[in-house]
Amino acid sequence: MAGLELDNVTKIYRMRGKEPVLAVDRLDMAVGDGEIVGLLGSSGCGKTSTLRMIAGFEDATAGTIRLGERAIDRLPPARRNIAMAFEGYALYPPLRVRENIGFALLRGRHPRGEVERRVGQVAEMLEITDILDRYPPTISSGQQQRTSLARALIRDADLHLLDEPMSQLEPQLRAILRARIKDWLTGRRMTTVFVTHDQTEAVALADRIAVMEQGVLQQFGTPAELRDRPANLFVAGFIGEPPMNLYPAEIVADGGGPAIAVQSAAGAAAFRVPLPPADAAPALHERLTPGQQVHFGIRPHKVRLGTGDLSGTVLSNRWLGDQSHIGIDIGGCLLTAVTPDPVPGGADGTIAVDLPAAAINLFDAEDGRALFHGLQEAGP
Amino acid sequence: MAFLEIRNLTRRFKGKAVLEDLSLSVERGETVAVFGPSGSGKTVLLRLIAGVDRPDGGEIRLDGVDLTEQPPDRRDIGMAFQNFALYPHMSAYANIASPLRAKGASEDEIRAQVREVAALLRIDHVLTHAPRELSNGQKQRTALARALVQRPGVLLLDDPLRNVDAKLRYEMRIELPRVLARFQTTVLYVTQDYREAMALGQRVGVLEGGSFRQIGPPETVYAEPATVDVARLFGDPTIILFRRRIESDGNGAWTEFLGARIPVGAAADAGAACLVGIRPEHVQVAPAPIPDAVAVVLDAVTPLNVRTLLLLKDRDGEEIVATCPEEDAARFPRGHRDVWARIDPSRALVFDDRTGLRLPSGRI
Amino acid sequence: MQHHRQSAIARAIRGVLLTLVGLFFLFPIFWVVLMSFQTNADILRTPPSLFFTPTLDNYVALITGQLDTAVGSLKISYMRNLWNSLVLSSASVALSLLLGIPAAYAFARYRFRLGENIAFTLLSFRFAPPLLVLLPLLLYFQDLGLYDTYIGLVWVYQLITLPLILWIVRGYFEDISPDIEHAYRVDGHGWLATFLKIAVPLARPGIAAAALLAFIFAWNNFVFALILGSSDVQPVTVGALAFITASGIQYGQIAAGLVLSMLPTLVLALLAQRYLVEGLSLGAVKG
Repeated sequence: MAGLELDNVTKIYRMRGKEPVLAVDRLDMAVGDGEIVGLLGSSGCGKTSTLRMIAGFEDATAGTIRLGERAIDRLPPARRNIAMAFEGYALYPPLRVRENIGFALLRGRHPRGEVERRVGQVAEMLEITDILDRYPPTISSGQQQRTSLARALIRDADLHLLDEPMSQLEPQLRAILRARIKDWLTGRRMTTVFVTHDQTEAVALADRIAVMEQGVLQQFGTPAELRDRPANLFVAGFIGEPPMNLYPAEIVADGGGPAIAVQSAAGAAAFRVPLPPADAAPALHERLTPGQQVHFGIRPHKVRLGTGDLSGTVLSNRWLGDQSHIGIDIGGCLLTAVTPDPVPGGADGTIAVDLPAAAINLFDAEDGRALFHGLQEAGP
Repeated sequence: MAFLEIRNLTRRFKGKAVLEDLSLSVERGETVAVFGPSGSGKTVLLRLIAGVDRPDGGEIRLDGVDLTEQPPDRRDIGMAFQNFALYPHMSAYANIASPLRAKGASEDEIRAQVREVAALLRIDHVLTHAPRELSNGQKQRTALARALVQRPGVLLLDDPLRNVDAKLRYEMRIELPRVLARFQTTVLYVTQDYREAMALGQRVGVLEGGSFRQIGPPETVYAEPATVDVARLFGDPTIILFRRRIESDGNGAWTEFLGARIPVGAAADAGAACLVGIRPEHVQVAPAPIPDAVAVVLDAVTPLNVRTLLLLKDRDGEEIVATCPEEDAARFPRGHRDVWARIDPSRALVFDDRTGLRLPSGRI
Repeated sequence: MQHHRQSAIARAIRGVLLTLVGLFFLFPIFWVVLMSFQTNADILRTPPSLFFTPTLDNYVALITGQLDTAVGSLKISYMRNLWNSLVLSSASVALSLLLGIPAAYAFARYRFRLGENIAFTLLSFRFAPPLLVLLPLLLYFQDLGLYDTYIGLVWVYQLITLPLILWIVRGYFEDISPDIEHAYRVDGHGWLATFLKIAVPLARPGIAAAALLAFIFAWNNFVFALILGSSDVQPVTVGALAFITASGIQYGQIAAGLVLSMLPTLVLALLAQRYLVEGLSLGAVKG
């Protein structure tokens, strides 16, 4: 087991007659020994290219990849000592599920008894014990994906790569399997890099998440950091279900001190939020000047309802079993709020809204970089 | 009789019934969310109503008129397809205008109506674009506008938010009901996402195994599922289930879970096997002893949306899934393994192990 | 870096091999073009040489229809043949499109009894040796008065062009998402409008490809016109036989004739290229 280091890794696809495509742009990333890292992004963001370069299915156009003490970027895939679960499963159809899972261990001359024991263990964790003697084409796609996961998780490799590991899992199993897989990886200190487009999966499984967009690493941090301290507008609008409420705004010098004048999509003045007092956030006041254009953001579940100075019209109010989603119109801005308890009142009523200073995020209007993350500390 | 009335609808493919004896009544102006796992026949149902597929049995009536033998162009129905199905060789404007053109509306009328629906869906600035020049969100809105523009009697939406990004999906969840209300349309909304079904449907129909297992208001279906299968389709993480036996004594029938006595209604047979179901958000977990709680071991803490998932094991090695608000997760730092858990017996659901039907709860 | 150097070497080897293959295939065409500018004497000289005085005599002879040989002057109707080729191929393809596109659509979209069998029977016409049917066909044609007519030949050419168009266009129709057509029906349009306004425009690249291919096959046909028509309706493929004269084979004119007969298909291929590469779905269905 070992740490993984990507240094200035770049991938450019060149095709004749077409513009070269910069898939991965100077990616620097260090994955600690035993750490679980998720590469998160929408399709075409470069996450899969990165994984394929680490696995050795693609050459890096530039940069180096180190695994432990070894530079592996020039090694053929088979000599990198990496285990991988493929998005398309890539199971061996003529072998039983049991043989698929134990294949690498048997080839590595592990005693048969030990292989049997370990196959049983991983199969139990992934709930495929009852299909161990079936052949891959005869099992469901969810079961195939779990078999493919088992085949990767059973190995003692230096690095485990998982490509969209849970995209096909049965919804009822997903949440619990994520928890068990995380427990498995952490307990064995397996260094793991996985690729996903599903942020729920990334947040549940990863110690740290690398958010990528258009080949560029946007932010690399713990789920809590991404959630509470997004580095830029892109991350803020991407992370969270529902994602952060974001609006264009201007810093104004109000009677009572500087405030944030939030604008609706149509560009009209919507509402004002006072800036936290200067003694609480001195650095912020130094950085902001009246007239400055910014973006104002607040996470839906930091919005407080039934209290506060702002007033909005309820557009929709739905209890979803374990949380409420409320859509509110404040001066032309659509605000989403999430609360753990049902909120009384139906659509078209008015509701008091509080946007606590501790939960305010500000981003630079020009380059999108974060200026301020409220007064909170990064959570767990 | 209801506005849209579907009776005993059956559709077989290669001898296998995808829909069997399915019935549904939808009132005028109502939005019913059709929710079910993939392959449960949701899309087939919409296609039968739209008339692009023909049933092997049963009938579909709209406002009292039997539609079953009518071709799709004579049904007064609008449909938005999951893959958008825009006409690639026409502009967004021509796409939206298509239903009006079919009716032979005048160009002035077409222009006015397309403008109106486009403004409402905020795509008026891209009307001259070809579909390939539109973003996914704009494509989805164009498809929706096309289905809405002729003010159809029934609007069929086939998982329209599946292929758009999270931000847009949540915006549309709020916006869509208002647009639909504006057009006073009767809507069947198909989705695979139970939260979307609960957010958008005035009633939710749970489609499974070819027919509706339960149809009712979202809160009812979530809190009082008719069967164990319906219960398992709701919740993320879903309901956790444990096999138990029904006990009986002078105080009536009951069963047990996590040290709590769960009363079961009179109909239950003593000694019969049952499934006790509890939703993870109803398992209360504390880092220190609390009254009525049982000591359990905390195996893993994983964040999940705005909640956090706690993976627990009780003394018998049974795996219990609980969730708590994300703010509370800080109470369970890494390595903290000894915790206490309890349930509120009135929240527990008991199902017959053989039939899967929910047993009436008893008095506490 | 070994990794990379290897792939550079591999690239170089691939380039050389491709050039060799290209030369191998293009050489006959190159040689024919050269021959068309040579006199028979130059052509027949041994060893052959790349150096000669180019002459346009061959082309002049073809265009004026006057072939001067050592023995005397001979009338030829090569330009007439060229015109026949054009008429026969175009008319055959047009008729096949008219019949084949609706049929292809039916086979692609509807499941009906014996559907697959009928489709396969049509394709099997391509396997049958033409000579097998030619003799009885000749007798029928003479009885029906179709012998030596354009109509007769266009009819027989359907054996070549119809199956091609049917099978290629069917594949393209099958690739169009049925949802797009369903959406148009639900909008309130009838099936005919759906076919004409949605299916046919979306299959246009396929239709263009099929039409081009069918045109080339029709153009290159030899044996049907040889048996079923006289020089009045015969295409260039048969017309070239006229250069095998009593006084010898006129290689120069044959080469010039070949070059002229290649031109229309070449021009057509270049014009249709745009349609051939045009994407099918154009991004209307989520990609």
